[in-house]
Amino acid sequence: MKDKTYRLVKAATNIVSGLSMATLIVLGVSYIGFNNAFVFNNAGIAVTNNPVTGDQINFILEGSRRHECVLTKVHSDAYDDATGERFPLDFARKVYIRSDDYLGSDTGVVDHQWGVPKPDNMYPGVYRVTLYSEFDCVYLLFKKTKVQIFDNISLIIE
Amino acid sequence: MDKVKNQKIQKQVERWDLFARLTPTLFLATSLILVVFDVVPLEYAFYIGLTGFAITAVSWWWWAIFTIKYLISILSRASTNLTDVNNEIKIVKKELEDLKDER
Repeated sequence: MKDKTYRLVKAATNIVSGLSMATLIVLGVSYIGFNNAFVFNNAGIAVTNNPVTGDQINFILEGSRRHECVLTKVHSDAYDDATGERFPLDFARKVYIRSDDYLGSDTGVVDHQWGVPKPDNMYPGVYRVTLYSEFDCVYLLFKKTKVQIFDNISLIIE
Repeated sequence: MDKVKNQKIQKQVERWDLFARLTPTLFLATSLILVVFDVVPLEYAFYIGLTGFAITAVSWWWWAIFTIKYLISILSRASTNLTDVNNEIKIVKKELEDLKDER
C-alpha cells in the first residue's frame, strides 16, 4: 500500500472508530436513562368524589410521561383500613370522564379521569386503594415492559 | 534483550491501535444487525458491550502501567549510562590536558 493511501485509510478508520465510539456511548447512556425512567413522573392518583355516596368511584391521575408507553395490564384493589379486607375494582367496566391519552402513547402532561363501579359488597368506611399498571414503553430502538404502582390512595365510602 | 523487548512493546502498541480502530465499529455494526433482526435482545447487547468496555479498560490500564514502568527503567538506565560516559569523557579530557601540559 502506498504511503498516502495508508495514511488516508488510517485517518478514515480513526474517524469511523471515533464516531462509532461516540454513538455507542450516546446509545448506552440513553438506554440507561430509558431503563431507569418511570412511566409517569411527578404523578399522583386521587379519588375525586370522596366521600363516595353513589355507585361510582372517580379517579384522577395527573403527572407527565417522558416516553411513549402503552398500557397493557391494569389491576386495582381497595383495602379496608380497619379490617384489611380486599375489594377488587372492576377495571373492565371503567368509564372515562376525561382522558388525554392515558392508554395511548403520547408523551407530555397526563391529565386523566375515570370512574369504576363501586363493588356491591363494599360497606361504608375508609379504604386504601392500590393500582398496579403494566406498560410497553418504546424509545428510539429500545423497548421495555414497565410497571408502575400507585398505592395509599385514600377512599371514603359513605 | 532491550531491543527484543522494545520490539515486543512496539508490536503491542500496533495491536492496541488496530483494536481501538476496529472494535467500536465492528461491535456497533454487529450489535445493530443482531438487535434489529431480533437475534439478540438489546439488553444482552448492552451488557456484552459494557463487559467488553470494562475488560478493555482494565487490560489497557495494566498494560499501560507495566509499559510505563519499563520505559522509566530504560530511561533511568540510559540516563545513568550517559552520566557515566560524561564522567569518563571528563577524565579523558583531563588526562589529555595533563599530557599536553607535560609536553
